[in-house]
Amino acid sequence: MDEQLQGDWLDARLREEAPYLDDNGFTARVVQQLPARRSQRRSFRALLLFCITLLASTITYVVSGGGKFLATGMSDLLAQPIWLLMITAALVSVIGTSVATLAAVAKLRAERQ
Amino acid sequence: MPLSDADLVARVLLDDDHHAFAELVRNHQSPIRGLLRQLTRGDAALADDLGQETFVRAYKNIRSFRGEAKFSTWLYRIAYNCFREEARKRKELVGIDEAQLEAQVDPNTVDPALRQDLMQALQLLPLHERSAIVLCCQNGLSHDEASRVLDIPLGTVKTNVLRGREKLKKMLAAWGPN
Repeated sequence: MDEQLQGDWLDARLREEAPYLDDNGFTARVVQQLPARRSQRRSFRALLLFCITLLASTITYVVSGGGKFLATGMSDLLAQPIWLLMITAALVSVIGTSVATLAAVAKLRAERQ
Repeated sequence: MPLSDADLVARVLLDDDHHAFAELVRNHQSPIRGLLRQLTRGDAALADDLGQETFVRAYKNIRSFRGEAKFSTWLYRIAYNCFREEARKRKELVGIDEAQLEAQVDPNTVDPALRQDLMQALQLLPLHERSAIVLCCQNGLSHDEASRVLDIPLGTVKTNVLRGREKLKKMLAAWGPN
């Protein structure tokens, strides 16, 4: 009986030894250390990509003499026989579809794990 | 009506909601910091640093929380891992911060001398028994939950709690119920 009483007494004292600790700015300090929200990171990444693309396009335009290479390239392409263009388009489609399918399968596997 | 842990976790998962995570921190900071204070033998500053590390890690890895255990159990586990890594780094943790202990004493509830003796008795226990006692007897975790937090078998937790309690009883025999 004494043993039981002593056990109960000890449990009660141990519970009393776990008082509520006031926050005292703890939560604010944790929140300050959290990484930036993903949406903010995404916006920043999108902005960065847009700026780099814009810069690269401008440089290319200037270096290529006002984009004349585009007109030349298009006329060269149109001068090719039609069967060659169709085979090229089919190959590009097959390769693109394969890559997209592989990426989807890999993502599905990663999500299941 | 306050949101449940599951609702708050869902908000963090969906939108990286810092406000929802702050609510989770507010709800769980006291027991996590309390556990870490006991594990660090009363070093409040170190315990709070580890507490912050615990919650930041929880935020970064919240996608690995699958809801199989309670959110608090998951947090205890992260806190215990943070403590173990720090202990490994330091090898020997700093001693009891007497001034901090004095500041925590509430004279209306517990005899300060008893409180000090209990704290010292707890800190004399080996780490594995102290951790089991703090989790099960102070924080109310079941033996099963404690075994998940400490990553040891259920039987070992029960043995550690039993041995720890016996040692505490002996050390505090003079204070027992009259």
